[in-house]
Amino acid sequence: MLATRALHLVGKRAISTSVCLRGGHGVAKVEEYTLPAYFDRRENPLPDVCYVQNLSPEQKSLKEKEIGSWAALSNEEKIALYRISFKQSFAEMNQGSSEWKSVVGGMMFLIGFTGLVVLWQRKYVYGPVPHTFDAEYKAKELQRTLDMRMNPVEGFASKWDYENKQWKK
Amino acid sequence: MAHPLQLGFQDAASPVMEELLHFHDHALMVVFLISTLVLYIILAMISTKLTNKFILDSQEIEIIWTVLPAVILILIALPSLRILYLMDEINDPHLTIKAVGHQWYWSYEYTDYEDLGFDTYMIPTQDLAPGQFRLLEADHRMVVPVESPLRVLVTAEDVLHSWAVPRLGVKMDAVPGRLNQTAFIMFRPGIFYGQCSEICGANHSFMPIVVEAVPLEHFETWSSLMLEGA
Repeated sequence: MLATRALHLVGKRAISTSVCLRGGHGVAKVEEYTLPAYFDRRENPLPDVCYVQNLSPEQKSLKEKEIGSWAALSNEEKIALYRISFKQSFAEMNQGSSEWKSVVGGMMFLIGFTGLVVLWQRKYVYGPVPHTFDAEYKAKELQRTLDMRMNPVEGFASKWDYENKQWKK
Repeated sequence: MAHPLQLGFQDAASPVMEELLHFHDHALMVVFLISTLVLYIILAMISTKLTNKFILDSQEIEIIWTVLPAVILILIALPSLRILYLMDEINDPHLTIKAVGHQWYWSYEYTDYEDLGFDTYMIPTQDLAPGQFRLLEADHRMVVPVESPLRVLVTAEDVLHSWAVPRLGVKMDAVPGRLNQTAFIMFRPGIFYGQCSEICGANHSFMPIVVEAVPLEHFETWSSLMLEGA
């Protein structure tokens, strides 16, 4: 839009504006992606354009006053000038949101729900486990593993004290 | 066999497996170091307030982070190749055994001196004696003498199988129409379990391999008994 104002001699329609007329059918909005844009970024502190493009009369007079000595400006006027050029201050830009709370909460809810689904499956879908999972069978398996000296170097049997018949401390 | 919830390797029963354990420790240490470094850098990047985006032309660090990974890769490759060639060394086996995979059992043939051959099927869960391991026990074991260099020729009768015993560091595909050779020495007597490691049909999970290492006299007794029984 700055460009259209600068080249008003050529005529508005010759340059892309925010309004596009096609063959008299209607009006479609065309975005100005090639024109300089405003953005609030921590790593690029000075955007290409001012935030407020169309100044109100008070703002215009403030801009006139800015040409003079800055010591004459009051604090509110300085803030008003800042807000003309920028949308958010650094403090506003950098503040976090509370979104993480809802994310974590949703995550925990879904994990809990999945746990319920798994429990239901265990009870109603799957059949019984083989008899080798009984505690007594497992004890016999364990005894056999130790008797066979399975993994005697760093593994299972190395943790058993064969003299005192107990696990090593 | 592995104990419940075991994450690491089982103890080695052959020299090659022991080398593989040490190499794995070495490579895993490198992996942990690199991962920790990367994780630290990611966390530092996320939590910094610095915003300089226009760093250019940093030759020193570019050199470092090109040369250092190359050095690390060489430090991993050298032990790896050493073990690879170690596995292929010419050894003079005292015994040759043929392991033939079928659907869905293994058969072993000891044909150096006499003609000994037998099939081994998994013991079904309902027939297990108390204390036996489910899905791992077989009715006959491949008995071998301890501390003797052995050669196993692996093949298959019908579809692909794979003869694997983790504690010996052995895994060899059984390809029909082909003889694959693997060799090992068992330096510890005992029973070593493995499972078929190539999908071969419905009962692929139910054809285990059981190797039993015994002193030579016991091996001789066993083979005579098996020959009589056959």
